[in-house]
Amino acid sequence: MSELAAVLPGVLEKAGWSVPGGLVPVLAMFICASIVAAAMGLSAAVLVWAERKLAGHFQCRLGPVYVGGKFGWLQSIADGIKLLLKEDIIPADADRPLFRLAPYLVVLGVFLAFIAFPVSEKLMVADLNIGIFFILAVLTLEVFGVILAGWASNNKWALLGAMRAAAQMVSYEIPMGLAILPVVVEAQSLSLKSIVAAQSGGMLRWYVFQPPFFMGVSFLIFFLAGLASLKRAPFDLPEAESELTAGFHTEYSGMRFSFFFMAEYAGMILVSGLAAALYLGGWHGILPGQSGAMWFLLKTAFLVFVMIWLRWTLPRLRIDQVVYVGWKVLTPFVLACVLGQALMAYK
Amino acid sequence: MTAVRTYFSDVFMGLWTALVGMSITLRYLFSKPVTEMYPDVKPRTPTRYRGIHVFEEEKCIGCYVCAKACPVDCIEIGVVRKGKEIKITKFDIDYQKCMFCDLCCEPCPAHCIHMGPEFEKASFTRKGTILQFATPKTLTEEEKKVEKVARK
Repeated sequence: MSELAAVLPGVLEKAGWSVPGGLVPVLAMFICASIVAAAMGLSAAVLVWAERKLAGHFQCRLGPVYVGGKFGWLQSIADGIKLLLKEDIIPADADRPLFRLAPYLVVLGVFLAFIAFPVSEKLMVADLNIGIFFILAVLTLEVFGVILAGWASNNKWALLGAMRAAAQMVSYEIPMGLAILPVVVEAQSLSLKSIVAAQSGGMLRWYVFQPPFFMGVSFLIFFLAGLASLKRAPFDLPEAESELTAGFHTEYSGMRFSFFFMAEYAGMILVSGLAAALYLGGWHGILPGQSGAMWFLLKTAFLVFVMIWLRWTLPRLRIDQVVYVGWKVLTPFVLACVLGQALMAYK
Repeated sequence: MTAVRTYFSDVFMGLWTALVGMSITLRYLFSKPVTEMYPDVKPRTPTRYRGIHVFEEEKCIGCYVCAKACPVDCIEIGVVRKGKEIKITKFDIDYQKCMFCDLCCEPCPAHCIHMGPEFEKASFTRKGTILQFATPKTLTEEEKKVEKVARK
């Protein structure tokens, strides 16, 4: 963003627009925010289509085929238009201000996290020196949105879903946060840019493949905990359709519902992208010397595919199993990884 | 010690079984979908499929055997005989009643009624489900008098 702010006055001068100097950073911010928002919305649309298509093929079906020609690629745009046109219902007994606030909070968490999202060396909104910490902190905002949604709906299913979401997301924040530590210890930095830069020089320099695989295990843990905090199957208890109708967003309709939806899919990209940046070498290619945004997007797309793949493979866990896995399996394992990596760094 | 062993084997089995499941779903991802594109592409019915009847009016001798054989009495036939000439004035099958049992086709001496491959004859009215197989004919007054209708 700072680079954009540096270039912007020249571009504006060429275009013949006079903008007061104080407004240039604001304009740069505005441009970055709109790019992020557009990318979020578009990627959600593409992902919904990809998920439905893949789900179909995983089950020997075809998925959407009619809208927009052979592969139904306009399906999610049609769905989006439908969601926009739907009536925005607020239940009579709902807590109106909180009910309205909740979806914005959920989207805000994911949206803010994209600020430090490292697509490539140049292509990131801001290289914060506490990048990864910032993302984790901001992602936690989503829990508030979910709890508010469940509480304000004044509906037992919504409340149950929100309680589950809270229990699950809070207990999985811990392994997720701890899983990052081995990488931070190795890279000696919290900035995503320098973490990725430390992995340059081919596939064997990626942190997953570093013996003795403390970071490999923590990659797995980060990915699983990310799945759980995104409330995706097999950890989709907060919205468990067969038990809770739709969980915390039971009472939402139209655009407000699609905000939750968008946050989930943008969150998938976020967690996959983070895993790619932290453990899979970010924008560095398989061979030494290769780099570019394409590599980052490829790795992210692959991890998103794995998420979809997992969802259509595993059945939903029970709540006690979810909490068991979080506290009794992931947390001790990740602590062992952190300890091991720290001892290695100690020398 | 066994508790520790169960714990680690449980963790390992959890991961391993997930991988096994994923390999199975991956195999299905690349298998051929079983979807039939029904309204766009009509499925081919099996050779001896018992669908809507096919009636060959020119072969029919108006013997009512099929109507008698029908266990649910869904066939209604009208015949006008004039010497050797046979006019089929009516051959209605009520598909609200028909159970596609094929018993009408077996006794037919002229082999003029068969079970066909067609199956899309749903209708919005009760009348619409009664299909008329005989070509419509205008009858003279005299013919109307001699017309014999095998009532259902």
